[in-house]
Amino acid sequence: MAEFVGIDLGTTLSGLAYLKADGNPEIVPNADGERLTPSVVYFDSHEDVKLVGTAARDGGDPDRTIFQVKRYMDDPEHIIKMDGKDWTPSEISALILSKLKRDCSKIVGDINEVVITVPANFNELARKSTIAAAEMAGLKVRRLVNEPTAAAVYYAHSQGVQGRVLVFDLGGGTLDTTILEVVGDNIRILTSEGARHLGGSNFDEILLEAYDEQYRKQVSAALFNDERQRRRSLHAAEDAKKMLSKLQRVSDTIGNDTSGLARIDLTRETFEKLIRNMITRALMLVEQALDSAKLKPSDIDHVVLVGGSSRIPKVKQMLEKHFGKSPKSCGNVDECVALGAALFAKKSARIQEVCNQSYGTLAMIYNAATGEEKVQNSIVIPKNSSIPCSRTQMYVTSEDNERVIEVDITQGEDEDPKYVDVIGRITLEVPPNRPKGCEVAVTFSYDENQRVRALVVDKQSGRSREVAVSYKGAGVLSDEELKRRSSFLRQMRIE
Amino acid sequence: MFKKVLQSISKSLQRQTAPAKPVAPEVKPAPAAEVKPAAKAEKAPAESTLKKIAAPPAPAPEPEKTPEQLCGIEPKMNKDQIRDRLKLLYRRYNRAASSLDGKTRAEADKMLTAIVKVREKTFGEI
Repeated sequence: MAEFVGIDLGTTLSGLAYLKADGNPEIVPNADGERLTPSVVYFDSHEDVKLVGTAARDGGDPDRTIFQVKRYMDDPEHIIKMDGKDWTPSEISALILSKLKRDCSKIVGDINEVVITVPANFNELARKSTIAAAEMAGLKVRRLVNEPTAAAVYYAHSQGVQGRVLVFDLGGGTLDTTILEVVGDNIRILTSEGARHLGGSNFDEILLEAYDEQYRKQVSAALFNDERQRRRSLHAAEDAKKMLSKLQRVSDTIGNDTSGLARIDLTRETFEKLIRNMITRALMLVEQALDSAKLKPSDIDHVVLVGGSSRIPKVKQMLEKHFGKSPKSCGNVDECVALGAALFAKKSARIQEVCNQSYGTLAMIYNAATGEEKVQNSIVIPKNSSIPCSRTQMYVTSEDNERVIEVDITQGEDEDPKYVDVIGRITLEVPPNRPKGCEVAVTFSYDENQRVRALVVDKQSGRSREVAVSYKGAGVLSDEELKRRSSFLRQMRIE
Repeated sequence: MFKKVLQSISKSLQRQTAPAKPVAPEVKPAPAAEVKPAAKAEKAPAESTLKKIAAPPAPAPEPEKTPEQLCGIEPKMNKDQIRDRLKLLYRRYNRAASSLDGKTRAEADKMLTAIVKVREKTFGEI
């Protein structure tokens, strides 16, 4: 049995690694002999089989092929209808995890408990959906860990570095930046920041538009008119992107059955211009991470590149210019997240993590000095607090004879309530006939498993309520539903 | 210096719809302690202070806002002020891009593009 297993459930590629007896992590290939499995699922129309991986990506009907489902893990309305059944992103992810589990366990033995990586800014629902996917695939989630944290653990392990490290993880669908401090065998995360919809697939789409534009100029027709043609063209654009990381210029011949062929010429300079907006966003995330950790670029000892899109020369140049030092590659940039997750499974006690989000409540804040008052998101646990942690804030009631104290639980660091998510509410009954202004203590605690608890104490009466804070909105499956779908999935043929 | 008064969403909404405060607030049976999903915070609708005398002419379509207008950048702002403003907005909208609310996510994407445009215009391209 493999005791310490890590899974990188990526937007475009997924991988599983385990910790060998010598303490080094190793990627476990799938049954197709590949070290990484494309995160693609194909629903065959002739046989009752779900294909996962390269076969699904390359061979199938695009209308029956699901790509990049990770992008929708927090979207309860994203339902995939296939052969009369509704599939959630979590179930599609479960198929990918099932393939990894079934294939890899033939090599390393039974796999029961795993660490799964998630983008640093995955919200509550996306994290829950990931755990649900694992459970449906028959895997118990030991921990979820942020992708850049896992990559940093692997980098620190393989390179033996010390000091402050900034990990820049530009994957297929997201960008994550983590700053951490390595002292001896111990790792302390200082901050993790993430940006969604900023990854390699965004660059592919931009390049696809350039392909289409050149094609239209030459043949006066659209490059693609259906999903199959679009997918084929997107694949070509992705290949061109990869080539432009090595060459200054690429030429490609592309076309479709109805309008014929056209020659596409692209230079690295053009590509860099096209993705400039995205690269600037990436730099702003790096600046945000430095701000959050109260550090300057010169305080960073090592800049580490992770994720396939970190191979783009412009990305390296941008970081080199900002930090005044050349960024280093994390070995194989596609595999280090899974490798780090396997290490994390063993070493988690030596890794000091931080709270991924701020948690607070809504309050009318009176500033006695200025006389200003406004409703704000009042933060109780600030983002990047070392975990486990517990924090208390004192508030007062707003009305006379208030019988029920309501405490909304917010997630997000913005002062403006419009820009935070309200993920729950605690209600506490208090005695009647009291004036407004009674003191209420609100305590939030956050444990190493990223579970949040909230305690509300009415100081005058001593009454209190404590609850586990858990997002239970749309998209979260009940235990019964999870069990039902798990047993359905286990009977399925997945290749 | 700061006094923090608990302010739940339901109370905020109650105030918006019923401006006159009841003398004796209704006493509701207290529900058992629970954590349940709550509605997204909504902004209070702006109150109309002018009475309509005649039907106003059909409003002209609003011109599209420039990136500077979207970001609240004013001509008198110096570079440091613009930098600070963009940082605040980037943090806000980058986070909003992962919101549980679809509308907020769409607004965030539009704002992130505007933020980059203002940055490039002010500080040059990277």
